[in-house]
Amino acid sequence: MEETASPPGVLPANWYDGVSAVRHEGTARLSGESALVLEEAGQPALNVPLGDLVSGGALASQLLYQRVSQPDFRLRLPLDLPPDFATALPQRRKYGGWVDRMGLGKAVIAFTAVSAAAVALFMTAPEWLGPMVPPAWERQIGDAMVGDLGGKLCHTPAGDAAMAKMLAAVDPAETKVRAGVANSGMVNAVALPGGQVMLFDGLVQQAETPEELAGVLGHEVGHVRERHVMTAILRQFGLSILLAGADSGIGNTAFGIASLGYSREAEREADEYARARMAAADISPLGAAAFFERLGGGRDDEDGQENGEENSEDAREENALIGWIASHPSSGERAKAYRNAATEGKDYPPVLTDEEFAALQSMCDEDEDVEEFDLF
Amino acid sequence: MQDQPGADSAFQFEGTWQEFAPIAFTNLLLTIVTLGIYRFWATARERRYLWSRSRFVDENLEWAGTGKELLIGFALAAIVFLLPFFIISQVAQALVLRGQEALGGLLTLVSFLAIFYLAGVARFRALRYRLSRTRWRGIRGGSDTQGWQFGLSYMWKTFVGYLPLGLLVPWSMVSLWNERWSKMSFGPHQFTSEADQGPVFVRYLLFYLAPFLMFFGLTIGGAMFGGAFGMMSDGDVDPDAIGAGFIIGILLFVFGFYFVLGLIAVAFYAAFYREVVGAMRWNSVGFSFTASTKEWIMLLLGDVVLVVFTLGIGYIFLSYRHWKFFITHLEADGEIMLDELTQSTTATSKHGEGLLDAFDVGAI
Repeated sequence: MEETASPPGVLPANWYDGVSAVRHEGTARLSGESALVLEEAGQPALNVPLGDLVSGGALASQLLYQRVSQPDFRLRLPLDLPPDFATALPQRRKYGGWVDRMGLGKAVIAFTAVSAAAVALFMTAPEWLGPMVPPAWERQIGDAMVGDLGGKLCHTPAGDAAMAKMLAAVDPAETKVRAGVANSGMVNAVALPGGQVMLFDGLVQQAETPEELAGVLGHEVGHVRERHVMTAILRQFGLSILLAGADSGIGNTAFGIASLGYSREAEREADEYARARMAAADISPLGAAAFFERLGGGRDDEDGQENGEENSEDAREENALIGWIASHPSSGERAKAYRNAATEGKDYPPVLTDEEFAALQSMCDEDEDVEEFDLF
Repeated sequence: MQDQPGADSAFQFEGTWQEFAPIAFTNLLLTIVTLGIYRFWATARERRYLWSRSRFVDENLEWAGTGKELLIGFALAAIVFLLPFFIISQVAQALVLRGQEALGGLLTLVSFLAIFYLAGVARFRALRYRLSRTRWRGIRGGSDTQGWQFGLSYMWKTFVGYLPLGLLVPWSMVSLWNERWSKMSFGPHQFTSEADQGPVFVRYLLFYLAPFLMFFGLTIGGAMFGGAFGMMSDGDVDPDAIGAGFIIGILLFVFGFYFVLGLIAVAFYAAFYREVVGAMRWNSVGFSFTASTKEWIMLLLGDVVLVVFTLGIGYIFLSYRHWKFFITHLEADGEIMLDELTQSTTATSKHGEGLLDAFDVGAI
């Protein structure tokens, strides 16, 4: 298309009316401050209010404008607009509304700041949001996630009573967490979503004194009371949003949270909670210390021959211990912390009687209705 | 007024990568600093450029879509489809955990069927969206239907296609292409597509023939390579080295297997697009797509080289390369009566291809 020299104030222009594919070729001139007049030989002039025009960006060698009132209308003007046209016509659209208004550099800085703040907020949200969720909600969320585990928990009247007694010692709050012994040989203990604490029978069998169990129970109750469980649910939820689409099976999620969802700091807090409760309830922390020492392999010579276990059995259970160790802080340090918490020379009353402890340990053997607890 | 598509090619691409680079890099930058949200505007900007540099006869195309509508489409898809799907899958898993395996399984099956259906609808609507945002001489395209019916066709035809050992896959692909394009229009004129599955089917048979040929060829090759490797070590036959050589031979075989399968897939798609585009008409204009298998392979090899040798940055140029490939190989002939070419009367959706985005399938 040949460029014809236009008189000042007049630009070559072409446009489509959006009704037919016929191209209109003519000129554009400003009429006062409010309108653009498009003229084509042999046709009536077209008066377009400036406020009706929006930028459609740029084509290879032309600027593109649309009309708000007629979205299909297209006007094309030369790339190099004279100053009067440039000020009268809407600013050229390039990156998008906000970026065009701010300028690319400023927009990048602003977006970076906002994004960094959003990321920080998102990353820390579990820590401050978790404790704000009412425990009743957590219980409902947890129940929805975990479902009813009742059939897989061991129950005998005497065992239940012993558990209740031990729980009362480490969880003085009015509404108790739910605690039970799960029918599984794994040496583990978990705090599940919904304030549900479980000692696995394997761990109960490993314990030599009730104080050891009280230490572990207190620790898991600590996770619930310090709202670590809710924090972990939120963190997991946040992760699953980030990894949207990635598999986040709810069963795996619930137990994933329980088994490896807590930070070192959370573990420390749960330990502190346990020690404080045990001190208040006059429970010796030395049992828990001994337990951690055994976990860490600190005192290998204390082998568990009293249950008539064979060596191969021992080895198997030692391996099972690794699961708990891996997700918890160094056993040696923890044992030391518990040992230091003991009052020198103090004579602590036993947390459970021998009969109660035995009832707890035989609970899973004696419960005939219990189902095997299967995680996956 | 009447226009004859030029003797060279009715479709021409006038862009350069130097012009595209600033767009691609600023898009990348803005997408990163907005944690991906700018992606929608980046897409719109990219398309505005590519469309504006694509000439049909005597006028360039224009992309009239916006980033905002793509964002809205994505948000809608997320709320209306992804959220329910997420909830259903969680409920199904909770059911399974509670011992209601049958009910949980049924729920999962139903949700996957729904996704299958919606994927079909999404393909339809993505094409409709793109046509409705493409302007040529101020005229746009579109479709009078919403694609709900196409979703059903997509389900049963795809299913039937795989039923007899996958032998009817070419039929289902060609038939779905015809069905989809026949519902589309540009301006006042409907597209028609009457592609035949015959030519495509012959190429498709390569998929069945190749494994046998390759198995014999490469097993013998692998064994010989293994033996040769064993001999090579020190003249004598070393059994260990034969073993090692054989493993390498097997690896080569596996690698070769996928490589050949990839080549067949390219050959198939080359034939497929030549056939289906060649069978399309729009009023009195016929189309053809001229890319040969070799040209497809060069395109894909070029992609790989570009991405690998730029340590991944070249990825942002792939859309440019693909569009250029598409436009340069697209041909049209026939005549267009500009007076008769009036604005499309199809309804346009107010949002972008969100559903398609959600299912991550290509539009064309």
